[in-house]
Amino acid sequence: MKTDTLSKAWIWLIALSGGSAVVAVFVEQGMDRRIAGSVILALALLKSRTILSRYLGLSEAPSWRRGFNMVLTFYCVVLLGLYLIGGSVS
Amino acid sequence: MNEQPSLLDELPGELMIWVLIISELLVFGAGLAAFLAVRLTDPIGFAEAQDHLHRTGAALNTIVLVTSGFLAAKALHWREVAQRAKARFALISAAALGVVFLIIKGMEYADKAALGIGPETNAFFTFYYLLTGFHAAHVVAGIVILLLVTWKDDPRNIETGAQFWHMVDLVWVILFPVVYLLG
Repeated sequence: MKTDTLSKAWIWLIALSGGSAVVAVFVEQGMDRRIAGSVILALALLKSRTILSRYLGLSEAPSWRRGFNMVLTFYCVVLLGLYLIGGSVS
Repeated sequence: MNEQPSLLDELPGELMIWVLIISELLVFGAGLAAFLAVRLTDPIGFAEAQDHLHRTGAALNTIVLVTSGFLAAKALHWREVAQRAKARFALISAAALGVVFLIIKGMEYADKAALGIGPETNAFFTFYYLLTGFHAAHVVAGIVILLLVTWKDDPRNIETGAQFWHMVDLVWVILFPVVYLLG
């Protein structure tokens, strides 16, 4: 894995983590929790895909990357479904 | 006759580390899904309990682990281009950030204990301690592994150690939003 790719992945992960923190602050200020929950889970999915692809090296194994991404996306949709069914508390 | 490489051959690193990674993801995945499923029975109680968590500390821990993972990945890169000293320094730094993660986590646990909150307080905190405690145990194991591969710094060892550490990182980036942010 090229060192540039690793650095870019790190910056991307920090940016996504910052995004989650910003959404959490917006929630404190009254943002709709259903929207916030969806965005937070989407950001978590992007982070996990980046770690799998760039740090765990699946970018060099496209079939495995596709499989992992598919399962992870499905899993996050299940988590989101459970969260939304449970209702968000204002 | 040339034999076609199997799909398993495409996986980077050792097959067994991937068996471990998938197993761990399934265990944590089931735990987090169970957490949200139990939340269905008491969403208000879960939201109130979640407000006792230190979100800033946990967000800081995300930065700490992500940076630590980056250093572990850099260590492998440096070892592969025969920069052993840099690789060792990166591995030790990654392990040190793991210790920082545990210190922040320990402060969070101490804060909860001071408030009289424990695993038996309610269902939320049972899951909270179970999931974050199990993850913290993996961080401890990861620190030991990182130090071990700093000592035995064969590239394959470093790759396996770094992959374990990335798995710990991967679990945290899902665990953090579910336990700390989805109120």
